[in-house]
Amino acid sequence: MSAPVLELDAVRFDYVAGPPWARRRVPALHGVSLAAGRGETVGLVGESGSGKSTIGKLCLGLLRPQQGAVRFDGAPLDRRAQRGRFAVVLQHPQWSLDPRLTVAASIEEPLAISGTGTKASRRAQVEQMLAEVGLDRDFADRYPAELSGGQRQRASVARALITEPRFVLFDEAVSALDVSIQSQILNLIRRLQRQHGFAALFISHDLAATRYAADRIVVMRGGEIVDEGTAASFYEPSTHPYTRALQRASEI
Amino acid sequence: MSVTFPSPTPAAPAAPSAGRRRPRVPFKGDPLGRFGLFLLIALVAIGLFGPALPIGSPTESTGDRLAPPGDGHLLGTDELGRALLPRIVEGIRETILIATGVVLVATVVGVLAGCFAALAGRRVDELIVRATDVIFSFPVFLIAILVSVVAGPGRAAAMAAVFAVTLPTMVRVVRAAALPVVERDFVTAAEVAGASRWRLLRVHLLPNVRGVVIGQVAYAISLGMLIEGGMSFLGLGVQAPAASLGSLVGSGRLYLTIDPAYALVPGVVLGLAVLAFNLVGDALRRETDPTLEREA
Repeated sequence: MSAPVLELDAVRFDYVAGPPWARRRVPALHGVSLAAGRGETVGLVGESGSGKSTIGKLCLGLLRPQQGAVRFDGAPLDRRAQRGRFAVVLQHPQWSLDPRLTVAASIEEPLAISGTGTKASRRAQVEQMLAEVGLDRDFADRYPAELSGGQRQRASVARALITEPRFVLFDEAVSALDVSIQSQILNLIRRLQRQHGFAALFISHDLAATRYAADRIVVMRGGEIVDEGTAASFYEPSTHPYTRALQRASEI
Repeated sequence: MSVTFPSPTPAAPAAPSAGRRRPRVPFKGDPLGRFGLFLLIALVAIGLFGPALPIGSPTESTGDRLAPPGDGHLLGTDELGRALLPRIVEGIRETILIATGVVLVATVVGVLAGCFAALAGRRVDELIVRATDVIFSFPVFLIAILVSVVAGPGRAAAMAAVFAVTLPTMVRVVRAAALPVVERDFVTAAEVAGASRWRLLRVHLLPNVRGVVIGQVAYAISLGMLIEGGMSFLGLGVQAPAASLGSLVGSGRLYLTIDPAYALVPGVVLGLAVLAFNLVGDALRRETDPTLEREA
């Protein structure tokens, strides 16, 4: 693997729950280390509550680790200072785009936030990105309600990639789509990754989709990484009982 | 005074279909909404332009005391011989202006506080919610009496009472509508792209809670008119020689057996004004809340 673009180093994170007079800590991650290099997709699988989404939020700077470090290109992650260099594609096609904004306005938003280019140049970039994700130019002025789930997810991918990020998080990005649309989006992600070379973290419950999208698969359980291996070797018998259980489940 | 607020739709941010809704005709296919709007426009027009009509002065005695309707006075006169019609027109203006003005200020503060509570995280959210609890815990009339003691009975006391009731409700309604919007994927994507809280508020939150806010403003104004009416009825609100609908009902109740129109007409007008705002609020909610549309 090349030098990691994104790196989690012995990260520990606890959530705080309960009313102010009875606060309690709920451990979510126990010293997790993970890295994704340029052009690499790391798949993250595990049951609900295993800490996958917490890792996602830490990678995006939406949470700060209580112990350990999250590094981006070797420096501590700073969402504001490093804006435009990482992006996210999330789960719900229905809410991936703001229903009050046109598709163009949504895709353009990361550029507008970072103050990149003029309105005209940003519009040109939006149209180029639409073409890259397989949407016609006339989608630009439509509203999300006029798009199918797959088209919205394509638009979300366009929004994520418009700033040429070095790291993209796909958090259950295909889970809510039909199987046929899932494969289209997965192929799109793979093609764009080859073109742009971003590092990616692919979080999913879907083992088959993860195996297809990822180069390496990390298995999580109870806030810890319990197994790790290449996607190609995922169906080879594992030594870890939880991974074996996942493998058996995915064969059903 | 116990007034029940219509419960807001908690997550009425726009659904996808709301993106392009631009009704050309207000409340098309909604007869109740159109009736409410007509009533509202009529009352506001009477309140605003009534003083320009040749109906006499609301403060000058121009006839016998408690004269019945007729004889140059369409609705008769009050206990000082002042024509009732111009006083009711002044009452409409006073009541609507106080309620609308205060509710608009409460809306600005409430929308900012509600959105900020939803955006700023758990501690700030708890602080704002507890602050609204504290304001809620004071009875409206206690606040009005306190203001009356400090500033004397009058508009200020009525306005303070309206503000004290409508602000916390607005904060809670906006917060309830904004919280699910904050959780939406498009807000997270904007946050990850580096959007400031101000941008999230301006670009994503406000447009998506706008429908809820507009409906709530209409309800809050109707509630504000009832509170102002109650305050003035008890003598804590608008003071003579000025008149509000509540103060007219309060004065007229003393002469209910002699001149029932004196109390009944302003009371009915107040009821119509509250009805108008409620009907318009309901219609706005129906137009901006797609979940209600689907249920219909």
